[in-house]
Amino acid sequence: MSSATRKILISCAVTTLSLVLFFTIPQVVYAVQPHVAEQTAWWVWMILLFAFSFVLGIFSVLAGVGGGVLFVPIVSGFFPFHLDFIRGAGLLVALSGALSAGAPLMRKGLADLKLGLPMALIGSISSIAGALAGLAMPANVVQLLLGVAIMGIAALMMRARVYGTPDSQEPDALSKMLHISGVYYEESSKSEVSWQIHRTPLGLFLFMVIGFIGGMFGMGAGWANVPVFNMLMGVPLKVAVATSGLVLSINGAAAAWVYIFKGAVVPLIAVPAIGGIMLGSKIGAKLLSKVNTRSVRMIVIIMLVVAGLRSLLKGFGI
Amino acid sequence: MDKEKKSFGIDKVQLVYAQVLETVSHVGIAFLVGGYFVYVLQLLPLSVPIDAIAANWHLKASEMQQKLHTPSGWSFLKSTAALLKGDVVSYLSIFYLAMATIACLAFATITFYREKNYVYTALAVLQVVVLLVAASGLIH
Repeated sequence: MSSATRKILISCAVTTLSLVLFFTIPQVVYAVQPHVAEQTAWWVWMILLFAFSFVLGIFSVLAGVGGGVLFVPIVSGFFPFHLDFIRGAGLLVALSGALSAGAPLMRKGLADLKLGLPMALIGSISSIAGALAGLAMPANVVQLLLGVAIMGIAALMMRARVYGTPDSQEPDALSKMLHISGVYYEESSKSEVSWQIHRTPLGLFLFMVIGFIGGMFGMGAGWANVPVFNMLMGVPLKVAVATSGLVLSINGAAAAWVYIFKGAVVPLIAVPAIGGIMLGSKIGAKLLSKVNTRSVRMIVIIMLVVAGLRSLLKGFGI
Repeated sequence: MDKEKKSFGIDKVQLVYAQVLETVSHVGIAFLVGGYFVYVLQLLPLSVPIDAIAANWHLKASEMQQKLHTPSGWSFLKSTAALLKGDVVSYLSIFYLAMATIACLAFATITFYREKNYVYTALAVLQVVVLLVAASGLIH
């Protein structure tokens, strides 16, 4: 066994053990002392939320996923807030992350408006529908579905190593009509990379489904947008990641209004979460070249699996 | 390749969108941070005390709203007095964040129209309409 593999295995084992303890201890504490959450001052929860979101922000960048996808399942496992407020904050976390990163990516031609706009239009309508459906459902049903979704995301992340530069395919009629194609400068190879897309109608359908799921659970949807762009439609990975952020900023804004009008956005909770994730993401970006991202990614997958299991158990009332 | 794309030149509409996005997101972050400090340090009176929020944040959003009458939608626009509350200022900063995309798309729409790109003008207009309908509260 190589030392790198051993390191990965050890870090995975330590993380799994810590997470099991971390997830189990609160259950025991709450069982013994049901009002422990109410006895803690509000500002303590806010500092904890900020610190927790900060760590999530670092992990999300190192693992190559958006902060929104980690925020909802993990925060709902540890904090006393109702899932409605966590989903409302989660959408704003995803939205603000996409907004703050968007401008430089658009200037470099990585986030492409002509690729993103049709997907965002259909996705934003379905994300409003998803948010309305999610807020109308009983909390245990949402927890159950969230558990299933998180397990699916973890499975998708494990397959993500197959992403890459797609083969050049003949563009379909719809993408030709919409002039969806582009060119960007690839710094690693010092060359221009031109791209075009195919399977646009199927892509639009999947963005509708993704929008619905994102709105329902208040999660960012980079975990799904990127594979659809890259693996299905043939968009280069860098363009897929950047344009996913653009789509997310539009879909997130649409669904956020539903949460705002339903009273599920509480600034007291949402703002420290946004601040923590954004600050953590900046630190994560600086650490990116110094850290073994493979082991971090593995840790995040384990965190998602544990959070998914916990969500499933909560959904079943266990 | 699209005719208005030159050798790794970027579409004008992308640059316009990026410029607006940069401006609104910088202002948004400052507003978010400033608004939160006004709220938690109680520099202005609050419409709902923080302790009341903390005592009820385990409830469903609809239950908390019914119990505490927390601000929702555009309800705080009823009067100037309702606007000058610490929690409402923080709430407004979140509204601003949710409106940021509409501003970017509005400028993109104008640029598409000036470039006589009517298909994308229509798509951008539709997108703005969807977001405005969501922001109006008509479908909730």
